[in-house]
Amino acid sequence: MQEDNIAIEVKDLKKEFKVSSSGKGILGKLQALFHRRHKVITAVDAINFKIKRGEFVGYVGENGAGKSTTIKMLTGILVPTSGSAEVNGIVPYKNRKKNAAKIGVVFGQRTQLWWDLPVCESFDLLRVIFRVSRFDFNRQMEKLEKALGLKPLLEMPVRKLSLGQRMRCDLAASLIHNPPVLFLDEPTIGLDVLAKENIRNFLSEINREEGTTIILTTHDMNDIEQLCKRLIILEEGRIMFDGETEFLKQKFVHEKVIEVEFHEVGCVIQGIPGVTVVREQGCKKWLTLDNDNSGIGEVIGTIASQYKIKDISVKEPSVESIIRNIYDNRIRLSTP
Amino acid sequence: MNPKLFLKFVSISFQKQVTYRFDCFVGIVNGFLYVFIFTSLWKALYSQFDTTVHNGFTLTAIITYAVLVMAVKISFTMDDSIIYGKVMDGSIAMELIRPTSIFFMNLAENVGHSLFHIMARTVPIVIISIFIFDISIPFEPVRLLAFLFSFLAGYVLISMLNFTAGLLAFWFVEIFPFMLFKYALFTFFAGGIVPIDFFPEFLKPLVNILPFQYMLYFPTVILTGRIPLTEVHSIIIAQLMWILIMGVICSLMWSAGKKKLVIQGG
Ligand SMILES: Nc1ncnc2c1ncn2[C@@H]1O[C@H](COP(=O)(O)OP(=O)(O)OP(=O)(O)O)[C@@H](O)[C@H]1O
Ligand SMILES: [Mg+2]
Repeated sequence: MQEDNIAIEVKDLKKEFKVSSSGKGILGKLQALFHRRHKVITAVDAINFKIKRGEFVGYVGENGAGKSTTIKMLTGILVPTSGSAEVNGIVPYKNRKKNAAKIGVVFGQRTQLWWDLPVCESFDLLRVIFRVSRFDFNRQMEKLEKALGLKPLLEMPVRKLSLGQRMRCDLAASLIHNPPVLFLDEPTIGLDVLAKENIRNFLSEINREEGTTIILTTHDMNDIEQLCKRLIILEEGRIMFDGETEFLKQKFVHEKVIEVEFHEVGCVIQGIPGVTVVREQGCKKWLTLDNDNSGIGEVIGTIASQYKIKDISVKEPSVESIIRNIYDNRIRLSTP
Repeated sequence: MNPKLFLKFVSISFQKQVTYRFDCFVGIVNGFLYVFIFTSLWKALYSQFDTTVHNGFTLTAIITYAVLVMAVKISFTMDDSIIYGKVMDGSIAMELIRPTSIFFMNLAENVGHSLFHIMARTVPIVIISIFIFDISIPFEPVRLLAFLFSFLAGYVLISMLNFTAGLLAFWFVEIFPFMLFKYALFTFFAGGIVPIDFFPEFLKPLVNILPFQYMLYFPTVILTGRIPLTEVHSIIIAQLMWILIMGVICSLMWSAGKKKLVIQGG
């Protein structure tokens, strides 16, 4: 039994993949014919989380962290190795069809539209598949058409759409039955700035107005910063952070970043207490100060006295830089 | 799955076939060639003997059988690699996220495929054959109705056979050899080459425990009039039983296989 306000509940969810590794060369391949060596990859390693109705959750992590694998389990595509999951109170890998009726899914790298059909016919097929009444369909389409600028695309066959156009259509397709839960796996991949902005506005609107629970996987931290109140960071199949995006920002907001551009390459910064070089690129260096910001002026003074500086600026850390640091293990987090 | 949706997918698949018209022309020639070869062989064989009836078939009966079994077989043309292809390229993921049965979607796709082949190949081949060969089909409305039932049941059985064969994609990277084996088994044991009455005694027990004869042989011999009307119902019941058995096999294989499914990328 599940509480009413919980949209998704995941318990010790685990997925292992067996990868057969054939040896190198002819001999190895022959050997593999008779004696297959399997390597087990744990893509998702016993994770736990609960997502409430109406939440907008960012699900991030480096390539291969296990994000897509999680989403595939929650959408009923993959069967978990162990553990359990419920979406809308339904176990997706046991009741695939029942679950599918109540979720929307976008995989940025694939399309759920019919390649040879005009977009509008794909939509109409989905209307029948999801048993949406014509009345509800027309109302929803009107909204989607406006928000995603679909009008000029409707008559085009899907295979002739550009990536961004296709993505907008796929997003609309996932929402035809107005699902309470929406899974988005890299929906902004390859989109231009404007298209991204439009999609973000649209997502934030349906989250706000329809109360749609949204799980968003992305590598674009601006998506996260603008949309997701909650953030789950995955690393090698394990959750390493689960909390408010704002919490991350607050926690590191003190940690100002100083961007210095020198006139020459190879300037060494040392001997200034509490200063760490976090990134270098050509003549540019990015420095952070530990905790105490009072020393910023002093630090800048010290550097300026040692080297010729072309440009210098002090920045608040962006979610992007925080997360990059988390990926790089520069920052260790304890989950709050 | 609702009938309206089923028909929509049938029509999509049908329209897709229309784009392969040239293949179809080749298919007519090819199908007719088979009919021609088989009927010629039977004629030659029968002329070697003094007796005119072999295993209960007169020359006319055997030629009728040869034409009709080919007609049924061509009507049953479907792409048996659809599921395999979808598992391999991962596009099956996009079907799994919809509240529809993969089997029925596949069936609808097959039906569209077959409908096209019936219109474009079966019908011309049968019409030409009626003029060229000495064929006799008893015209009894009840028999035609029984044939229709038996034909549809046979169709569902073949769909299921192809579906299970396609599901081997969950376990094997390459399933072409299995498909070849399946095709050979099916063509022979379903009576696609020689009617089952001509099989040697020792094969008969095997034939009887396999479902293949219910796919081509029985629908065909119901139509040719070889089966008395009083026995037709028992055949259709047997077909329905096999549909049930194959259905269980399909769903067991599906749930076992799904655990093995991996989708690359995304
Ligand atoms: N079909 C598969 N067979 C074997 N291993 C797989 C398969 N799919 C994923 N993996 C492995 O599981 C791990 C997690 O993959 P997953 O696709 O979930 O990552 P991701 O977080 O979505 O990454 P990305 O940001 O690149 O999309 C990776 O190590 C990957 O190599
Ligand atoms: Mg991914």
